[in-house]
Amino acid sequence: MRRNPALYYGKKALVFLLSVFVLSVAVFYISRLAPGDPLMSYYGERTEKMSVEEKEAAREKLGLNDPIYIQYIRWVENAAKGEFGISFKYKQDVMEVIGSRIGFTLILGGIGFVLTFAGALLLGVLCAWHEDKWVDKILCKGGTLLSCIPEFWLSLALILIFAVTLRWLPSSGAYDIGYKDDWLNRVTHLILPLTIVVLQHLWYYAYMVRNKLLEETRADYVLLGKSKGLSKKDIMLKHCLRNVLPSYISMMAISVPHVVGGTYIVETVFSYPGIGALSYESARYHDYNLLMVLCMMTGVLVIFCNLIGGIINERIDPRIKANEVVQISEVTVD
Amino acid sequence: MTEEKLFTMVGIRPESATPEKKVSRRKGFPWVSVVLMTAIVLCCLAAELLMTKDPGYLDLENFNVAPNGEFLFGTDTLGRDIFSGIWYGGRISITIGFFATVIATFIAVVYGSVSGIAPAWLDNLMMRFAEIFLSVPGLLLVLFLQAILGQANVLTLSIVIGVTGWASIAKIIRTEVRQIRSSEYVVASRCMGGRFFHVLGKHLAPNFVSCVMFMVVMNVRTAIVTESTLSFMGMGLPLEIISWGSMLSLAEKALLTDSWWIIIIPGTFLVTLLMCITNVGNYMRKAANRKGSNL
Amino acid sequence: MSEILLDVQRLSHVFKLGKYAVIKAVDDVSFQMKKGEIFGLVGESGSGKSTVARCIMNVYKPAAGKILYNGIDVCDSRAFRKHRKMLESSRQIIFQDSTSSLNQRMTVEKIIAEPMSIHHIKPPRGSLRAEAEFQLSYVGMDSSYLDKYPTELSGGQRQRVAIARALSMEPELLVADEPVASLDVSIQAQIINLLRHCNEQHGCSILFIAHDLSMVEYLCNRVGVMYHGKLVEVAPTAALYANPQHPYTKALLSAIPVPDPIAERNRSHIDFDETAFDREGTMVEIAPGHWVLRKEDSQ
Repeated sequence: MRRNPALYYGKKALVFLLSVFVLSVAVFYISRLAPGDPLMSYYGERTEKMSVEEKEAAREKLGLNDPIYIQYIRWVENAAKGEFGISFKYKQDVMEVIGSRIGFTLILGGIGFVLTFAGALLLGVLCAWHEDKWVDKILCKGGTLLSCIPEFWLSLALILIFAVTLRWLPSSGAYDIGYKDDWLNRVTHLILPLTIVVLQHLWYYAYMVRNKLLEETRADYVLLGKSKGLSKKDIMLKHCLRNVLPSYISMMAISVPHVVGGTYIVETVFSYPGIGALSYESARYHDYNLLMVLCMMTGVLVIFCNLIGGIINERIDPRIKANEVVQISEVTVD
Repeated sequence: MTEEKLFTMVGIRPESATPEKKVSRRKGFPWVSVVLMTAIVLCCLAAELLMTKDPGYLDLENFNVAPNGEFLFGTDTLGRDIFSGIWYGGRISITIGFFATVIATFIAVVYGSVSGIAPAWLDNLMMRFAEIFLSVPGLLLVLFLQAILGQANVLTLSIVIGVTGWASIAKIIRTEVRQIRSSEYVVASRCMGGRFFHVLGKHLAPNFVSCVMFMVVMNVRTAIVTESTLSFMGMGLPLEIISWGSMLSLAEKALLTDSWWIIIIPGTFLVTLLMCITNVGNYMRKAANRKGSNL
Repeated sequence: MSEILLDVQRLSHVFKLGKYAVIKAVDDVSFQMKKGEIFGLVGESGSGKSTVARCIMNVYKPAAGKILYNGIDVCDSRAFRKHRKMLESSRQIIFQDSTSSLNQRMTVEKIIAEPMSIHHIKPPRGSLRAEAEFQLSYVGMDSSYLDKYPTELSGGQRQRVAIARALSMEPELLVADEPVASLDVSIQAQIINLLRHCNEQHGCSILFIAHDLSMVEYLCNRVGVMYHGKLVEVAPTAALYANPQHPYTKALLSAIPVPDPIAERNRSHIDFDETAFDREGTMVEIAPGHWVLRKEDSQ
């Protein structure tokens, strides 16, 4: 059915835009429903001292009095121009706030992502290779233990050990004050948060690789290969691993938002100035504009990655290709 | 059918079933985990018997005391006895984990079954939606919902966690139902007269229950972790309601005062319980499929 | 004169592949089965035999045509619902793949007893277990198999359990969809004899679907040949094998191996020209009970 690439990608693009639209409406409405006063985040404690008229005037100024759909339309109009409003809390343009912090999250999340998936692949192959021997057993037990530890607790424990007791590594921030461009300083600040991010997700994917590989080794073609005299290394790496890779890659695509967007806990504990902590704050303090943009960004990333994952799946999975062949050759077209 | 002499069977040998090899189903049964888990749960349920002091009492003279004879696990920064707090708070954490999973499983069974039986386009739509649900970082969703609901209590927290955790179970149920639905024994059963509920009870359910059990157990684990993470971040239960999570929310302050027992002790209990649950879950998964490697 | 048990009239069924393509699995097939006869349906893989069987058993709703069982049109949902109980107990089916047609999580006893428990029939031999034991002994397995699971049985044993399950309801029509295709030869022989015994002693009519022609010659009273969804020839067995009319039937029969090695080596078989196959045409009766697919204007 992929007769016309333009049609295929065009349809995907349409689905994408539609989903984004639905998402934006949903986020907009839901965030407005939350209790709590956005004025608080803008004016802080002064809100309580304001008189009723002043509050009214403030609301009018911030455009909070109009019915929701008008607020939404206004938001869309502005968004189309590239103006996403002002963060109530930071009193800066939303894009500036995000822009100044997104780099940190991308570094943390990006490197974490690469390390996690490379490590998971290695570990998974290692475990499958030594299945049921002590290496596998220890790794599995260790990995299970690791996955049971809540992220925040692990962060605290590591801070306790490395920062407080041993004083080897810093416990917060992305860089010490005044050392902004010193990359060594940055790296030392990155080590602990990065470790947490990687450890958090590593075992989940490593276990998946291990299980998929083990399932492959139960297949009949492995028995055939062995009887033909192929070495274990060849069978494992050239055949089993190749069969596992496509689903691994599409898994990677779908996990991007999960890993990169899941840094908020680490950022909070380590006071790392990324956008994860920003999302949490904006949800907590009803900073609508900021929240909208952050949610939209996450949502768009999720939808985009899912689409890519789907496309990869369709391209790589040979079973789907085989179906297409059957369709074309033997059939009377209606 | 009359019981006369049977027709001639070509090449027949008297056949009798081979005696069953006793494959011990007890092999690999996680005794330690089950015992430990039961012990912790029972202690939490019997909290009143074990508590030495009132867990909510703020003994301001004795705050930040290290473990000693009087306060077996020490006290936290507000002066509460941690030993009593563990058992009393454990109840809440476990309850939330349990209820959230029940809610999530219920939603998942309905959603998965409907998707499994539905025509292809509906099934596709439903699964896309579930996948999107799955890839959004769960906690953000919970944060979002919790922010809307305002102040949390045990019930709202369970609901919120449950509502965000159904997607993984639903996917499995739907795959199983789809697969089983067209297998021949279901076709045969319907040919010979089996109606929907007969097929569901006798054929579908036994086949997907084992696959799902593992996910359900894992869900309990995730729910407990989510609750404690939420409380830690301040979006979960308020400080007055004691749960392992809320105890850990004081942990950051503990770092400054070097009171390791506030962090380590509740954390250890949490991790131990989660490990036990995971082991039970893994055992269930292994029991569902056994086959040897060809390599 | 035995009456007509099953009357298939102009049955057609199609399968949709994706959005654009359609496969005509069964195209305008008509034949009749009398009570007490064994009717064989042969053809190569993909000719539509299984689809015919499943349409008859109401697994699929046919795209066109009527199927009359004892005069009742089973394609009509109202008539079906009215006679549902009778239709579900007097017609049973045996599938080709015994691994997937038995629920792996049920014991043999439960599998055999399932039809009886669905219809809430009081077992004539006391309990359901005793009933299952009797059916098992009928197919040549003893009672020690009752508590086993299908994964613990061999292919032949599984197929016998499936037959026992079908026979437990004492059906009038047994549809056997390639029941012996995946079994070894001695087991095949046992099962064929079992089916024959059923037919002779209990008057069970059998629709036997296969692609092994010598087996069909041994077992069946009448034979129908299918090709690409169309029924090309129907005749009593002896007449078909002695005097095949349609070119496809001739090619098929000429390919049957002969047990004598010398004769076999000297034999040549006829090739069937697929491009010459004419889908149009109607069934023409060239001899009593012998029908061939032919274009009207040809001789």
